[in-house]
Amino acid sequence: MPVLFSFRKIRLFLSKEIFILPSRIIAFFFCLGLLVLPLLIKDPYLLRIIILSSIFAIFAASWDLLSGYTGQMNFGHALFFGVAAYTSAILNLRLGLPPWITIPIGALAAVVAGLIIGIPCLRLRGPYLALATLAFPIILMGIVFTIPGITGGELGVSGIKPLARSRILAYYVCVILMMGLGLVMWKIGDSKTGIIFHAIREDEVAVRASGINTTRYKLLAFSLSGFFAGISGGLYTHFIRIAGPSTLEVSLSFQAIIWAIFGGVVTIYGPITGVFLLYPLMEFLRIIPEIRTLLFALIVIVILLFMPEGLTTWIRDRMEEECPRCKVRNVAWRKACRVCFADLGKRSSEGGEHGV
Amino acid sequence: MRGWGRIFGSVIVLLFIFFGSISIAQDIKIGVAGPMAFIQGQHHWFGAEYAVEEINARGGVLVGGKRLPIKLIKIDTNEILNVPDAASAVERAITRDKVDFLVGGFRTEAVFAMQDVAMDYKKIFMGCGAAHPELCARVAKDYNKYKYWFRVTPINSMFLAKVDFILLGMVGKIMGMELGIPKPKVAIFAEKAVWADPIVAAAKENIPKMGMEIAGEWRPSATATDVTAELSAINASGAHIIFTTISGPMGIPYAKKWGELKIPAASVGINVEAQKKGFWEATGGLGNYDTTMNTYARVEITSVTIPFYDKFTAKAGEFPTYNAGTNDAIRILVNAIEKAGTLDADKLVPELERTDFYGAAGRIVFTKDHDVTWGPNFVTATGTQWQDGKLMCVWPVNWEGITYKGAVKYKIPPWVVEKWKKK
Repeated sequence: MPVLFSFRKIRLFLSKEIFILPSRIIAFFFCLGLLVLPLLIKDPYLLRIIILSSIFAIFAASWDLLSGYTGQMNFGHALFFGVAAYTSAILNLRLGLPPWITIPIGALAAVVAGLIIGIPCLRLRGPYLALATLAFPIILMGIVFTIPGITGGELGVSGIKPLARSRILAYYVCVILMMGLGLVMWKIGDSKTGIIFHAIREDEVAVRASGINTTRYKLLAFSLSGFFAGISGGLYTHFIRIAGPSTLEVSLSFQAIIWAIFGGVVTIYGPITGVFLLYPLMEFLRIIPEIRTLLFALIVIVILLFMPEGLTTWIRDRMEEECPRCKVRNVAWRKACRVCFADLGKRSSEGGEHGV
Repeated sequence: MRGWGRIFGSVIVLLFIFFGSISIAQDIKIGVAGPMAFIQGQHHWFGAEYAVEEINARGGVLVGGKRLPIKLIKIDTNEILNVPDAASAVERAITRDKVDFLVGGFRTEAVFAMQDVAMDYKKIFMGCGAAHPELCARVAKDYNKYKYWFRVTPINSMFLAKVDFILLGMVGKIMGMELGIPKPKVAIFAEKAVWADPIVAAAKENIPKMGMEIAGEWRPSATATDVTAELSAINASGAHIIFTTISGPMGIPYAKKWGELKIPAASVGINVEAQKKGFWEATGGLGNYDTTMNTYARVEITSVTIPFYDKFTAKAGEFPTYNAGTNDAIRILVNAIEKAGTLDADKLVPELERTDFYGAAGRIVFTKDHDVTWGPNFVTATGTQWQDGKLMCVWPVNWEGITYKGAVKYKIPPWVVEKWKKK
């Protein structure tokens, strides 16, 4: 009887929460597909690509949480990644701590880095903030080269313990963490805190006028984003088994931005989609190595030309529509809202959000 | 009838593909890993191609009484720009392209990651690009895991630095003998880059010990387009020698200005631009007498060096750099395969450890850490000087009893002679 009861609960959850919107159905089958994949295909190269995609998906989503939601444009997101990567690597190599301890400690170190950047940068806005954040990973790289005895200098820290004993285990660790942390970030964005993040981006003065301490919330955004990016940095270092200067490179920071903007910012799932499309695409384009980067750039430019708000946002807006009264999302072809039964057809004909 | 014809044609095509794939499976696949969009990767590839064309022309590799051709697989690691890309590229080559062996690698950080992947799959990886000692120290630390790694080129970075100072000492000695300068003053001229820092530190420590004096230290940007100010300051310092450490494009404006201003100090050390064929044209001949450390030179390091040097230059349109060591690496591998009569990596490792091979870079013998042995009668590296439009080998000449046939005497630039002879 309890089994039957829980089965009924799952069925109810699926029909009420998942199978009501196309975007949720896609997300559900995407997650299901990822979980089932190693049972069907054991190709280590394919698993490697998905593992790296999962790691970078957490990284890109964490950029979205900070820069997309609160509008604090961070051009040096690799700092969090690099700090956690080096911390995890050094702790593992010097103290012999296992990955399940080094990764969270690395993420906490990234939080500290987030606070260190956040505090002086709070006075800055727009391009000034972007340029200031860009400088931090470069400064840290200078420090890395100054103390090669600890950081390994140009070589980085190598000889680190692998993330898991087998590729499949590493796959499940990364994929499940990506799903879990993605959900947590999405929930944060959808929570009361997330609404304040949105409001800070739109009109910080108005938020302050409402009696909200925006400084505290911006610092919270830096810390949270640093934590999630730190987890990805720790996972990366244990998977690749080296933490080197490449984890702090400017190109890594910009990659996060490209992935996020391609997928669609202020969504969390947008950057995740961006990584899961673009990272394997780059691998696929190895068949034509000479024009690989050029083709990649062309694809990104063309997509953004026709879908300036990002791929997922564009697709979502064609499949779903927001109810003008209760703000709940509905399938685009519904005539009445699934919650408040407001007339959705009328809104479109009057020239609603997408009708203009 | 036309329909039957099509079916028949399709069957023929399928059979052709099927048997074709069987014949492909009979190849020995060697993955050439390098940043193929850059000169380093291109030299990896050309070096490997040169070796494979010759080996396949004589019928391939003799394995257990059967001759198997070698098929090269190009692995664009993109390692200069992206480290995880390099590790993924190598894993793809191993799992998808089913490469049997790997050669190449360039950026040390990326080579570490690629080395780990190759070792996980127990694939023999012949390094031809990264000089750091740690890559071979791993063999000593964990032999069972890293025994499949061997470094062919370049020589260990510790020895690279040693050769650099030997060249400086040689120029100092010649200036002392020919110009009567008992204690030459040396200007340290190194690009502002991390890799140059330990060389600058070592220079500060070693130059006084070598019986020379430090005139000063100049660190322009690796991408500087004009170094007139630095060279004028060096001129004012009264330096007799400029000890260069340059890998970036600044090597061209440096040499051009040095020749144009006729700075009365001999230029010696590392200038990567001066290793390239286009250096003479790029400097309009003003880079004459610039001296740089090199791996290859058009001299008889061994009997195969000059043919390799000439054919490589004709094929690539460039003088070979140490990345072209893939040529020697593949030949060493083939020798080991033919002696062991197998492609089994575990059986090949002891055979590779016994290597004593006369390649284009010199006599290659591996140390117990699987590093290429440096020293007289082994691989030495070379010192090359531009002399009237030709890149000539000027070292080793009478060094530890070694003089490569075709090597010439180092020439002090005439304006340097003119300036210091008067005094």
